[in-house]
Amino acid sequence: MKVKLYEGMEGVYVVELEDGSSRLATRNLVPSIKVYGEPLIRYEGVEFRVWDAYRSKLAAAFMKGLKTSPLREGLKVLYLGAASGTTCSHVSDIVGHKGRVYGVEFSPRVMREFLERVVKYRKNVMPILADARLPAEYAHMVEEVDIIYQDVAQPYQSKILVDNADFYLKRGGWAFLAIKARSIDVTKEPSEVYRRELEVLKNGGFEIVHVVHLEPYDVDHAMILTRRV
Amino acid sequence: MKGYVIVSFIGLLLCNDEGKIIDKALFPKETRVQADKLHLLSRGEVIDEVKELCEKARSLGIDQLVLENPLIAKAFAGYGFHNVKVEAPNDIAKIMRSQLLEIAVRLGYALNEDEAVRMLHEVTYNLSARKIVEAVEKRDLLVAQAVSCLDEIEKVLNILASRLREWYGVHFPELGNLVKDHEDFIKALLVIGHRDNIKKREVLEKLSLIRDKVHKLIESPGTSLGADVLPKDVEIIKEVASITLNLYDLNSKLRRYVDEVMGEVAPNVKELIGPVLGARLISLAGGLERLAKLPASTIQLLGAEKALFRALRTGTKPPKHGIIFQYPEVHKSPKWQRGKIARALAGKIAIAARVDYFTGEYVADELKEDLEKRIKEIKEVYKEPPKKVVERRPKKAKKR
Repeated sequence: MKVKLYEGMEGVYVVELEDGSSRLATRNLVPSIKVYGEPLIRYEGVEFRVWDAYRSKLAAAFMKGLKTSPLREGLKVLYLGAASGTTCSHVSDIVGHKGRVYGVEFSPRVMREFLERVVKYRKNVMPILADARLPAEYAHMVEEVDIIYQDVAQPYQSKILVDNADFYLKRGGWAFLAIKARSIDVTKEPSEVYRRELEVLKNGGFEIVHVVHLEPYDVDHAMILTRRV
Repeated sequence: MKGYVIVSFIGLLLCNDEGKIIDKALFPKETRVQADKLHLLSRGEVIDEVKELCEKARSLGIDQLVLENPLIAKAFAGYGFHNVKVEAPNDIAKIMRSQLLEIAVRLGYALNEDEAVRMLHEVTYNLSARKIVEAVEKRDLLVAQAVSCLDEIEKVLNILASRLREWYGVHFPELGNLVKDHEDFIKALLVIGHRDNIKKREVLEKLSLIRDKVHKLIESPGTSLGADVLPKDVEIIKEVASITLNLYDLNSKLRRYVDEVMGEVAPNVKELIGPVLGARLISLAGGLERLAKLPASTIQLLGAEKALFRALRTGTKPPKHGIIFQYPEVHKSPKWQRGKIARALAGKIAIAARVDYFTGEYVADELKEDLEKRIKEIKEVYKEPPKKVVERRPKKAKKR
């Protein structure tokens, strides 16, 4: 078994298993604590958590060839749609003790899971039970951020991103947008949905850096990496 | 002069239009208290710090306050500051957000940035935890769970009852044909046991409900079509039967419970469409609050999401009703009237849910009356099935 950095990308690692297959991983911020049953791996005295591309769209995006990532140690991230914290925990791993993740989630039931599994152990994660469509309502809990990561299965996804960026994203900040075509409009072709959402982003001052489709990890999903100019 | 109010975990900051902090009303340095204050504030309540900052602003000659959060702005207006404006987002607040933790340290609120982060973590944790508890304390969610459980038990009951009919039928098939109701059948099975027992007087007495039928059976010529079985075969069947019977008890207990709690949380909905169907609607909507905020058109289709999306996707006919199909006037009416009745019913349910959630008055009788009137009207006006018109071709299904 070998663990090495993922093509020079900070905080993301590739684990080569004995059977020749390889998986993504992040360095565990809180050793020995699992978040969603993922395998823990020790390598040269450091503990890594395997990052499942079938459960995390960000990992899927890396597997599907997302080459650049603005995620670095020490950055502040606004995470919209934290759910029970699967992906969020890996982002927390990457930004480390000096970074911060503001996890916004709307459902109290899911937020309970998020608190129990992730927030309890990770001091760099701030939970926010709120509606991502109304950024003004959590302005008293969030600081300016370097990156917004958004995965909220909602119509008007891009608009939600632009609105949040207006509040919280610093100049030149980056954003990840996981688009679920079926949540936006089931009656339209996914490609049509993607095109419209990209349009909204461009009008909102974002330049599109990279679009990756997430099949086979997630059908009809795409990950957009974009930057505010 | 304009003053910008910045709300954060350390308290309230007052800034001028250059982004300088000109005054402040800080919270006590205890994360539980900080969370308390922010919680009250975000519900629009006037807390001491609001009063303090208002007074300070006045003495500084500030006549307009600018905030980002409309609810918190309400708290300021509630304390009597007349000129409160919401500008969201605004540049001053953005400047403050970009140096929030440094400010906390600079004002002496936290020793260093690490401590500020720890505080922020605890405050946000406490706030979320509190909101979660508030959300789960709602009794309408209990009733939603209960009605889902009811549905599951009914499913199990049907399966077990059918199984018992088959199983006992190997030995005594005539009883199954004699007693149609599942619960009565299981009761009879438990009394009889081995089929030879039906000839015993004390067994017959216990079968008062079906005594006449059993008499006929005994007197009829010919033998039973069932196989003879051992006592232990009957014993195990009786064991299953008695547990199934217990489930029937549980089922009616749950119904009484749903009835009772629906009377507490949604009396109008309960009266209008019955406790169980009402509870199912609450369960499908995800709570009384959400049901109360849904448009009638959505209520009409709750439970028919699959059909609705199929219709949207392929251009077939949209569904007329979801779960409210279970309302007798809907499913007993002829097909061409159902959609109209469902629409009328959904409209009344929407009103009932809103009254239940927002005011709590009792208006169900009027709603029922109106609904009955409308249903009568529909039945008269649309008595005959509509004439067949040349059917428009459904939109061609899109290829994916």
